[in-house]
Amino acid sequence: MMKKNLLTLLCFLTLALFTHAQDRFFTKSGKIEFFSKAPLEDISAKNKTAQVVLDAKSGALQFSVLMKGFEFDKALMQEHFNDDYVESDKFPKADFKGTITNNSEINYTKKGAYTVKVKGKLTLHGITKDVETTGTIKVDEDGLKTASTFNIKLSDYKISIPSIVKDKVSNNVKIVVDCKLDPLK
Amino acid sequence: MKRSTIIFIVLILAAVGLWYGIKEFNRKNADLANVTAKVTIDAPSLTAAFEKDSSAANKTYLGKIIAVTGTVKSIEKGDGATIVLGNAGSMSSVRCSMDTTHLAEVASVKEGQAVKIKGSCTGYNPDEMGLGADVILNRCVLDKQ
Repeated sequence: MMKKNLLTLLCFLTLALFTHAQDRFFTKSGKIEFFSKAPLEDISAKNKTAQVVLDAKSGALQFSVLMKGFEFDKALMQEHFNDDYVESDKFPKADFKGTITNNSEINYTKKGAYTVKVKGKLTLHGITKDVETTGTIKVDEDGLKTASTFNIKLSDYKISIPSIVKDKVSNNVKIVVDCKLDPLK
Repeated sequence: MKRSTIIFIVLILAAVGLWYGIKEFNRKNADLANVTAKVTIDAPSLTAAFEKDSSAANKTYLGKIIAVTGTVKSIEKGDGATIVLGNAGSMSSVRCSMDTTHLAEVASVKEGQAVKIKGSCTGYNPDEMGLGADVILNRCVLDKQ
């Protein structure tokens, strides 16, 4: 009898732990890339250390990205990006705080791909702007794969392009998010 | 000076300038195995410095090549590898994102091992999301003393 009770308790505890574990998902090595097409040269950089937390219950989504973590193919470009464009000494971090507006349509316990709508505030270069985008969440046995692509305008974030390259560097930047999230235990 | 000599010198200078310009334009990020660290610090002291005053610590460490000593808390492998340094019981860590051209060296690293890692400090994430506080290093290589 005692044994059976213990077993039931254990089952409940495991279940509780399991369901609790699926409340929140996170990563500390999220990938964020950006691309800018320009007549002079295409610019792209990749950050592999984005921190992301997703609360499956509320759909709250939070990103934190260190600007100095963007790696460029060319060192000179990386230096210009940090010193002249995003001024990463003054503004070391970009973050996004938002929610998945159609969170109720996502079943985080069932394998599958879902289209998500995300709305929130992006802070970059010390300026906060509303951002709205769509993306996908793939639910599989070991977590979530999240992906999204959206565009921002550098001028919205008061990132100025030096006048001598004004015609050669695009004001439009494409941001590609690709993060694998693990259940938070 | 003869006119031809002057033209010759100008041409040489232009060629050197062009060569330097192209070389600088195409310069890659340095392999940190060949760079000397500005500071050497242990992992708990580094996280403590950021926890105490992150803007002062940013001034000291942000964008600098530093060497960090510490115990390997965990090793995360995916497309690349991240070695997490810090005390096992602590929520604070130094996360070292390893240089993908040096991944072979990471294979021999084990949890609990004492290591010295050189990397470029890209900043600090305070414990705002309940995930612990981290100092992040990029382009890391194992430093062989």
